[in-house]
Amino acid sequence: MGPLIVNEIISQNTNYLLAFVIGIGFGFVLEASGFSSSRKLAGMFYGYDTVVLKVFFTAAITASLGLLFFSLFGWIDLSLIYINPTYLWSAITGGVIMGAGFIMGGFCPGTSFCGAAIGKIDAMIFIAGLFIGVLIFTEGYPLFEKMYMAEFLGAPKVSDSLGLKDGVFAFLLVLAALGMFWAGEWAEKKFPREEY
Amino acid sequence: MNSKKSNYLNPYLGGVLLGLVLLSAYYISGRGLGASGAIKSAIVTTVETVAPAHAENTEFYRDYKTTHPGNPLKSWLVFEMLGVLAGGFLSGAIAGRLKFKVEHSPRITSKRRLAFALMGGILFGVGSQLGRGCTSGSALSGMANLSLGGFISMAAIFGTAFALAWFFRKNWI
Amino acid sequence: MKSRVILAAFIIPLGLIIAAVPAYKTLSTSVSPEEILNEVRSGIQIITTDEVAEMIIAKDPSLLLIDIRSPEEFEKFNLPGALNIPIDNILSDEWIDIFDQNIKMNVLYGNGTTKSNEAWMILRQLGFENNYVLQGGLNYWAETIMNPKPPSNINPDDEIAKYDFRKGAGQALGGGSISVNQGNESTTKKAVIKRKKKKKRVAGGC
Repeated sequence: MGPLIVNEIISQNTNYLLAFVIGIGFGFVLEASGFSSSRKLAGMFYGYDTVVLKVFFTAAITASLGLLFFSLFGWIDLSLIYINPTYLWSAITGGVIMGAGFIMGGFCPGTSFCGAAIGKIDAMIFIAGLFIGVLIFTEGYPLFEKMYMAEFLGAPKVSDSLGLKDGVFAFLLVLAALGMFWAGEWAEKKFPREEY
Repeated sequence: MNSKKSNYLNPYLGGVLLGLVLLSAYYISGRGLGASGAIKSAIVTTVETVAPAHAENTEFYRDYKTTHPGNPLKSWLVFEMLGVLAGGFLSGAIAGRLKFKVEHSPRITSKRRLAFALMGGILFGVGSQLGRGCTSGSALSGMANLSLGGFISMAAIFGTAFALAWFFRKNWI
Repeated sequence: MKSRVILAAFIIPLGLIIAAVPAYKTLSTSVSPEEILNEVRSGIQIITTDEVAEMIIAKDPSLLLIDIRSPEEFEKFNLPGALNIPIDNILSDEWIDIFDQNIKMNVLYGNGTTKSNEAWMILRQLGFENNYVLQGGLNYWAETIMNPKPPSNINPDDEIAKYDFRKGAGQALGGGSISVNQGNESTTKKAVIKRKKKKKRVAGGC
């Protein structure tokens, strides 16, 4: 039963090796979907290319349904997987800063590595920026600490916060995603641009 | 699967594949994908090597050391991100997209594009640490396991980018 | 355009299935049969009638008694403050939050212990903690708490003390003249049962 590492089915070193393999899959799919192109990524915010929206939400609904089905079949123990803790203010502030970085830089960290891998110089500069940004955070940690730790909510699930079953929430998420895809394709027709 | 005008993967197929990669990360390692954490590991290692005295005296690095024993570079995310580089290169090589270039709207110069890329990177670097994870680590992985934080991050990142899109339209369109 | 329809054709039915299965089926199942066997063999799920009586008298807020018999039987007699969840209903979504929690100590009881043990095993298999079984069920409760037998004279002191406690408790709980809050506070200790440490979550984070 999964997760394999927790149940000691694989060793720590195998885990690292598989992390590398998973990373290859991650990088391959991102690049193959066009996430190595900043103009394609930024296109989402202007409606001319909604590939980010489609890939991102299709991946989210696939994985969340997958996790629930795996749990249903007894293949994975969901109580053992890592859930990022929620600190309300830092999540919102961090998200807002990242959103500004996204529209200015045209990448997010994962996609910038993909872009850099195929020779995008803007992606390499973006990565340099990431290093500076992380260094600013680690060096200036005392400045951020108060906000970083404020309003700790534990690691709640949205379904619990809304009082819905996980399955029902996942289904609603599927419907919402399909609705967005429909809107995205409509927007692509309305604001057409050539491929880059 | 390729349409006439694009040699990129069909986005829905790409999404399903990405979802399966994420699912296998959960199944094998019990955790989602990430990116910015690998950069943090690299930064911590660099600081510890270049300025060990400084690392000793600074709260953040000391805390990091106690919560993450061992070599910071020997972490799941570092291996995963090395894989991302390899995977991205592989896909680019197969599709014939390997080329050094600066991508930008014809209406701006390369210099301006690079300046914005740097600024964006810095903001993303700070934001991802403050928000405990970036688009992949917090938003995508968080949404997959239905965590509240994942949805908050997702809404904040994309909401802000949409809200600011108009101001930076010249860079992209 | 077309691929979206294909995606929808696959993912909507899957979503419907996952929305339709009962909540407990997708909850964590972290307890192996071996672990449950170990727990059952060591009787870790059993709570003695004395412990429960003490907790009731002390109005310990962490105690939740769950009567798994039928509503008719529950109407006739039940322990003070008990909640009636007939065994056939333990898997309904309505009660999941009661069984799957880390705050209260749920004590299941029936007339004997067969049914409450059955219920406990099912809940345990789902990975739920903090569920216990009342030793001997209501029959044993009646025997030990309601009508305790006086120990014979050769019994050691603590047997006599136990008898005194049971007699007092029986009177308090059976509607005798002794007021419920009297005295017993000081002797009350919370029943804490140590379980085997759970496997740790994966540490992670970006």
